[in-house]
Amino acid sequence: MLGLYRFLKYSAILLWSAFVAGPFLWALTTSFKTSEGIVSGATYIPWLQYKPSLDGWGVLFRRGGQGIDIVDPYLASLTVTLSASAISLVLGTLAAYGLSRFSYKAGPIKNADITFFFISQRIMPPIVLSIPFFLMLQAFGLLDTKLGLIIVYVALLMPIAVWVMIDFFHNIPVELDETAMLDGCRPVETFFRVILPNCKPGLVVAGLFCLIFGWNDFFFAFMLTFTKTQLLPVAVVALNSSVTPWWSLSASALVSVAPLVILAFVVEKYLSRGNLAGAIK
Amino acid sequence: MAKIDLNGVGHCYSGKPEKLEDFALRPMNHSWDHGRAYALLGPSGCGKTTLLNIISGLIRPSEGRVLFGGVDVTDQPTAKRNIAQVFQFPVIYKNVTVYNNLAFPLRCRKLPADEIDRKVREVARLLNLTEQLKSSAARLSADAKQLISLGRGLVRNDVAALLLDEPLTVIDPHLKWLLRRKLKEINDTYNQTMVLVTHDQNEALTFAEKVVVMQAGQIVQVGTAQELFENPRHTFVGYFIGSPAMNFMPCRLDGNAVKVGEERISLPELATVDVPPEGKVEIGIRPEFLKLEHDASPDTLEVPILNVRDLGNFRIATVRFAGHDLKIKIPEARPIPSEKGFLRFPRQWTKLYVDDVLREPAGA
Repeated sequence: MLGLYRFLKYSAILLWSAFVAGPFLWALTTSFKTSEGIVSGATYIPWLQYKPSLDGWGVLFRRGGQGIDIVDPYLASLTVTLSASAISLVLGTLAAYGLSRFSYKAGPIKNADITFFFISQRIMPPIVLSIPFFLMLQAFGLLDTKLGLIIVYVALLMPIAVWVMIDFFHNIPVELDETAMLDGCRPVETFFRVILPNCKPGLVVAGLFCLIFGWNDFFFAFMLTFTKTQLLPVAVVALNSSVTPWWSLSASALVSVAPLVILAFVVEKYLSRGNLAGAIK
Repeated sequence: MAKIDLNGVGHCYSGKPEKLEDFALRPMNHSWDHGRAYALLGPSGCGKTTLLNIISGLIRPSEGRVLFGGVDVTDQPTAKRNIAQVFQFPVIYKNVTVYNNLAFPLRCRKLPADEIDRKVREVARLLNLTEQLKSSAARLSADAKQLISLGRGLVRNDVAALLLDEPLTVIDPHLKWLLRRKLKEINDTYNQTMVLVTHDQNEALTFAEKVVVMQAGQIVQVGTAQELFENPRHTFVGYFIGSPAMNFMPCRLDGNAVKVGEERISLPELATVDVPPEGKVEIGIRPEFLKLEHDASPDTLEVPILNVRDLGNFRIATVRFAGHDLKIKIPEARPIPSEKGFLRFPRQWTKLYVDDVLREPAGA
């Protein structure tokens, strides 16, 4: 019985792993193929079925002519995503702490309404926001700049940070804040010295979400930039032409997804539930 | 270190109170003398924790003033009041060691490192935590964690009061007794004002010199265990303290007697009490003081005995009197009449309550 259970369990894990890893492996082999290795049917084994080539990768680092230079968009994407995520995380965490611990009231509007207001930013389809954002950035002369994109991304990412962190703060007993104040901390010290060290897993989750959404955004990066500033998703799409260059698209896809995969491995330990318990028990 | 005075302190959680019932804590005057051990006793939801949080500054009272040693601290933040509070569930800083947990309040006060070290080790010795000083606080058992919470209050020299909000709830029964004794020891050693919140009367009566009994947001009596037992000033104290609870019966005054239903109990002193016409009048007597005799005498009343329960070193007899079931606590050695007996209400222990409040005859 136990043997059958183990067999089914490992079969399911293997199947799922193949499902997840398959596209990556496919993209990896494709990135080393040339047009001959692709258009003449599916090929799997390098050197036997197709001749490996670095052409697909070379396109990414070629200036002018048939290639693109991926380094500048890569750095631009890193700058915009990291800055916007950091700002969103700081502001979002502070907002979430305030909403979780203090009562705000403006007429009929209370804490729950303010929280909903934050989260409702993500309910709207991006197209609805694009025109106001375009006009606002235009008015401030920030179209086609990294700063303009950072501001827009903060507006898009902060609701995620608030949403994740508010739930996290709700799970930290208020007695922990009260104890810190009894021990002699001012409210600001309570937050930084006692509460924040207790929310590392929450910060990691919120930060990860911000980075994923920021890094992968194509829509606003496409709408709000033209020539001076180009982010990675836009640069990757620009590779496409009348003949789809699968080899270089595969290479660029792998390059694009690499930072997030590495990040996921680094922060994996924070994502387990065990890290969340223990402050009061 | 100071006397704590509550002058007209009351609290309402939902905006402006319109009537007395709106208060979670009804406006009250009360003083906590320096260095004494108090117990705050009452059922859940009676306002005990609210009162504690007002003293520590976690709640600002909607009415009245809080004074520490005569100084108004009503608007002072918690951090400046020097109150130590231990909550029902142990609260620890889980990502640091036991040592750092104990040192935290002193570091907040920016004390020199050698003094912090000396105090932390002293308190760890007192609480038997020396062995665990280097362990991660999160890995300890619930009672060790609760000791850390307590220790954080004790490391400070200048604590005005140590407030304990049902701290023994999560502790194993056999450790409860040890911890309670430890608390007493700390009270003797440090001469700190201690307020222990509890709904367990045994805990309150064994720990405190004075017990403050609360009900429905108000203090109904403050006294020693003996005072609360012998002279409950409110029917609630009669119900809440003692087991079984005090016997109460509605009555009316008639000449020099108290009439319960159609039965007359001769109690000339009580009959002199001035009773308002609309008031709810009751007599009350503890099961320990009610007498069940074998033979009739002029001041006894015949009653049927409904049942007798043997509880080891004493028995509880239930009798029917004027339509009410009364409990009588009888020592094991004393014989109990069978089927019927003669009930006597000793004058000294029979109390009269008007609208739940004790009324004593003039000159009592």
